[in-house]
Amino acid sequence: MSTRRRRRNPGVAYSDVTGTLRERTVDALRDPTLADNLRTAGDSWGAGREVMKRDFGFDEMRDRARDIRRSNIRNMPALLAELQSNVRASGGVVVRAADADEACRYITDLARARGARVVAKSKSMATEEIKLNEAMEHAGLEVVETDLGEWIIQLANEHPSHIIAPAVHLNRDQVAALFREEAGTDDVPTDREGLVAHARVRLREKFAQAEIGISGVNLGVASTGTVCIVENEGNARLVTSQPRIHVAVMGMERVVADWDEAAHILQVLPMAAISQDAANYVSLITGPRREGETDGPEEFHLVIIDGGRGALRGSEFEEVLSCIRCGACLYSCPMWQNVGGQAYGSPYSGPIGAIITPLLEGPSSPGSRDLPFMSTLCGACGDACPVGIPLPDLLVRARARSSSPAKRKAGLAFRVWSLLWRRGVTYRLTMIGWRLALRIRGRGGWVHRLPGPGSGWTKVRDMPSKWPPRR
Amino acid sequence: MSTPVEQMVQSLARRKATVELARPGDAGRAAAVWMADQGIVRAVLADDPVVDAIRLESALRAAGIDVLRWPVAMGRREVLGLEGPEDVCGVTVPTLAVAERGTLVLEASVGHGRGLDVTNRHHVSLLMADRVVETLGEALARTFADGRPVPSAVSLVSGPSRSSDIEKISTLGAHGALTEHVVIITP
Repeated sequence: MSTRRRRRNPGVAYSDVTGTLRERTVDALRDPTLADNLRTAGDSWGAGREVMKRDFGFDEMRDRARDIRRSNIRNMPALLAELQSNVRASGGVVVRAADADEACRYITDLARARGARVVAKSKSMATEEIKLNEAMEHAGLEVVETDLGEWIIQLANEHPSHIIAPAVHLNRDQVAALFREEAGTDDVPTDREGLVAHARVRLREKFAQAEIGISGVNLGVASTGTVCIVENEGNARLVTSQPRIHVAVMGMERVVADWDEAAHILQVLPMAAISQDAANYVSLITGPRREGETDGPEEFHLVIIDGGRGALRGSEFEEVLSCIRCGACLYSCPMWQNVGGQAYGSPYSGPIGAIITPLLEGPSSPGSRDLPFMSTLCGACGDACPVGIPLPDLLVRARARSSSPAKRKAGLAFRVWSLLWRRGVTYRLTMIGWRLALRIRGRGGWVHRLPGPGSGWTKVRDMPSKWPPRR
Repeated sequence: MSTPVEQMVQSLARRKATVELARPGDAGRAAAVWMADQGIVRAVLADDPVVDAIRLESALRAAGIDVLRWPVAMGRREVLGLEGPEDVCGVTVPTLAVAERGTLVLEASVGHGRGLDVTNRHHVSLLMADRVVETLGEALARTFADGRPVPSAVSLVSGPSRSSDIEKISTLGAHGALTEHVVIITP
């Protein structure tokens, strides 16, 4: 028997995506329903952002949010130690997991030890990152996502297309079809209110059965050992109050020092994410239920994941650790707005996903090394980010670090170009050659089709055959 | 400048919650009337002095509403509304409220179940006017003040449950309460 531990999927990117990044992008662009659904989402986000700026002083709040998060990352080891000791003092269990495997193994072992069969989950990008559902299903557990969007995605057997709006690429008819299939009946409403009500009842059955509730963590507050979970639906409230065991899964960078900092971030987060000045439900949980309390979990476990984050501290990419996973950079990105999140093939899509996926996986991982090139570097993401991460700069740095074949090809082309244009003689020769080629191909002053790398230009417009014009 | 209570009323409206102001002598009856109008047949009350101060129990009984006190001896299916009556209302008493955001601060304790506001179809909250503070920062600083025991769970509730997961349009009535009614008890 081999002594080497078999890793299920060491990467962050999904292992079951098909095709190359380019193929997935082209497929997404050819899907007219997807384009409509994404446009609806992007427009609504843009309008909401304007309201936040105008009525709630959002721009002023961003500066402080950036300073808080920078300081959190600088002091991360001490803050995590404080968080850990305070959670333990309040009766909780803290587990520090170096990677996905360790985190998943702890949780599946716990489920086995407690004889659990049904697990209810509320939304968590960290569990999506470590592929926890896969691990739990492999361990024979029934896993139910209870966030409406995540449940839709689970029924569709797809991956989320947005950090906080996972099913934003589907419309109500597509959702109704999935619900009919799950319920095994055609007696499912087709209007939005009806669909939400239908899901409420179906998922309550799962809340009644689940022995373990698994949630994410938006913030961990070091000074009291409290985890904050932000949501609108109330499913995280049920996940953290109904099952006998609550497991909270947290990326190690989500730590803040105290309640003054937490109060600020808890307001900036919904403003950036959903253009609301408050989320409907924020759960602030400190350990399990206390003596005499009759609801709430009897056990509380906090799993803190490194997964490559710790190594980013002190690197040129440190600022990505400030991210509060609001999804604003996704909505703002012209690339994401056109192809959606699924083309990225990673739980983290959009500009932030294009940076952190390859960072967490390593620069030569085939699943994510092309991602930093999924950007026009227009700068919209940098403007959208509520914690001031210089996303466009980091995208450029991530490109420099990437070792993808596409990048090598582009690098070679630029080197040849530079070599030719560095000297007057070769520069003039290329210009003469260019003019000649345009003259030969031109018809009536215009070139309708160029070969090779020029074909992209002539696909949508003509090229004047006398170009560049002589002075 | 509006007072914190006036601001709270405006913020709650923005959060799609309903709100009414009542003096201690009238608050119990006001809450009972609202519940009867919604067709509520059972109320699960937090075990809190405010509930007794406004004589809510007798007002509810007079309105023909079944009254239970936390902690309740119910199975999880009944707590979740899968068994027993559908139109159940959880009645909570916030320790504080945030005027700027329309947020109620609910602390879990032996007498105040953490699921009270979220497991039932309806939610009524009895808010003492002098507990309204302006900002979230102030509310959290007081809740987690040094020397005060840290509650096992604090819920910040800002309006009835909703989801924007279908077509990014806000739709009420996801997993939590479909309605939120706040009775602000003024001196």
